[in-house]
Amino acid sequence: MSRVREAVFITLFLTVVSLIVLATITASQGEILPRTTRSLAKTFLNTTYNVIDRKFWTASPEAVAAIVWDYRGLDTFYETIVFYTAIISCLMLYRDILGKPDVTKGEGLSVVVKRANAIATVGIIAVGASTILHGMITPGGGFQGGAIAAVAPVVLLVVFSRNLIDRSRLTYRKSIVLRNLAILSIVLTALLPVLLSAGRGYVFQNQNKEFSVFSYPSLLIDVPMGGSIWFYNLFEGIAVFTAFYLAFRTILYSEAISLIVVEGEDRGF
Amino acid sequence: MLETVIFSIIGAVSLVSIVFVALAISTRDLLKAVIYSAVQSTLYAFLMYLLMAPDIVLVYVAVSVGLLPLITIALLKKVGRYE
Repeated sequence: MSRVREAVFITLFLTVVSLIVLATITASQGEILPRTTRSLAKTFLNTTYNVIDRKFWTASPEAVAAIVWDYRGLDTFYETIVFYTAIISCLMLYRDILGKPDVTKGEGLSVVVKRANAIATVGIIAVGASTILHGMITPGGGFQGGAIAAVAPVVLLVVFSRNLIDRSRLTYRKSIVLRNLAILSIVLTALLPVLLSAGRGYVFQNQNKEFSVFSYPSLLIDVPMGGSIWFYNLFEGIAVFTAFYLAFRTILYSEAISLIVVEGEDRGF
Repeated sequence: MLETVIFSIIGAVSLVSIVFVALAISTRDLLKAVIYSAVQSTLYAFLMYLLMAPDIVLVYVAVSVGLLPLITIALLKKVGRYE
């Protein structure tokens, strides 16, 4: 029986692999990198950082960040809200135990791992912060930087044991408040042009337009700042970082505590 | 010339990633399966870099090599390591 199963597995595997290889070879028959820029890309590249004709410019040299947080700002905002509610519903499942101290007294890994990890944490946070704050110049942005920075607390939790959470100053309440403030700041950044220009501005307006003079700063000393894009990236980064932190500190509860959540389900309530 | 080189690297990396997918499926040690799938994700991140999608690489590396293996290992600690 097991021999038949093995034969079926190998046949299926070889079929799938050859299909993939066939598709790859077929797709490789043209050029990899397009020789000509498509007209849509050309339009975006010509408008995002056009210092001479500032009619539609975004003050951000990075075209992807300009599209994500300026031209398509509302889409990205809804994506943010989807992620926000996803984490909220994850926390809802654990609502009875959120913020409670854990019962186990773990000691974590050896001192070598702890010290090496402490050094690496600084590096991870720095890379995350630079990805967030340079989102308007280099590839990356709020979500990417926030996800990179979120690796740091998660690895710390594994290396230093879960007791680190109960000792740390970033409590459950503080991280919830931080996350809600970040989302609120995104909304305020989007609404500020409308509020300040007495209804004549646009939602998600970045630089001044023909009928609305409101403009976020386009330069930070001598570096292109991308106007509102810098603020959106910063707040999105904070929101994503705290979201991952909250999810992991809840998931990593010890069995004794996390079983309280499902208590009574076998009796039907 | 450059295109041919880049394309052969893409082909080699994809083939190696298939090996790690097969290993991750066939192994009975779930911890090893997590590590194999992390290696496969690293190779995929490299593919995305070669296909000129640096934005995707940044988030893919953090999520698929950092957060996903960690959350899976936390799960394995609760359900047991061997299948």
